[in-house]
Amino acid sequence: MGCAKDIVEHCGVPRFLWSDFPLGNSAGKPFDAESQAQTLELALRVLESAPAARTTVQSGQRWSEDASWKRDYNDLTKLTRETIAKRRKEFDVVKTIAKAKREGS
Amino acid sequence: MSTTLPEAKAVAAAEDDVPILYMQRTRDYYLALGYGNPYRWAHFVEVPFTPLQTSLDRARVALITTAAPFRPEAGDQGPGAPYNAAAKFYKVYSDSTESAPDLRISHVGYDRKHTTAKDINTYFPLERMREAVAAGRIGSLTPRFHGAPTNRSHRETEADLAELLRRCREDGAVAAVLVPS
Repeated sequence: MGCAKDIVEHCGVPRFLWSDFPLGNSAGKPFDAESQAQTLELALRVLESAPAARTTVQSGQRWSEDASWKRDYNDLTKLTRETIAKRRKEFDVVKTIAKAKREGS
Repeated sequence: MSTTLPEAKAVAAAEDDVPILYMQRTRDYYLALGYGNPYRWAHFVEVPFTPLQTSLDRARVALITTAAPFRPEAGDQGPGAPYNAAAKFYKVYSDSTESAPDLRISHVGYDRKHTTAKDINTYFPLERMREAVAAGRIGSLTPRFHGAPTNRSHRETEADLAELLRRCREDGAVAAVLVPS
């Protein structure tokens, strides 16, 4: 169950239930048990009935009527040079923390 | 989920209403930040496939997540928290499927603008899977669910996957649901 269609299909998996939702919602919409139950049920049907590896089924659920949310992920056109420099500094810090943690594990 | 009735008029989608090209956007983003050597996602020639060997209502199913156990000492892991590398984990972990674990996703790149990670059920479907067992849809869950590290090293990830497979087999799973967050 996932949201990043290109990444999962690039890797290749036996079966994939794809929800065209913002990353973080692989198992359904927030505070919507019906959406989550439908997502799981469809994943189970893919598990039962996929004929071969790399079977992708797209959930029929929509995140919202308006698809403009898709433009925003890592959208460079909205970032100023100052913001890019700030993000670089922030990510250098994140990388340092991750490296120390990885080496300590 | 809505179903389009035969007599209903088909609604055209917007031109840019297509799957997001996450790999391209991520490459472009980090190149713009000044990092070279773009990340190479795993990419295989062959993909294994095993048909389900038993009916699902008799199958024992495992759940694998990339979510991380909440650790109070690891900084802000709350809904909408900035990317938190201190909350990452680098070893496979397991916990009981009878429990109500507190798992967070502040350590991965989810969409912080359009979702908040306030509802664990959007990235960790244990509760929904328990309901599917209660309804007789799934035979049973394995006694443990498993946590998969989000390590950028392909070599480390392959070793982690071997460990995950070992644990799933140890628990008698015939299938596993993998949910990346």
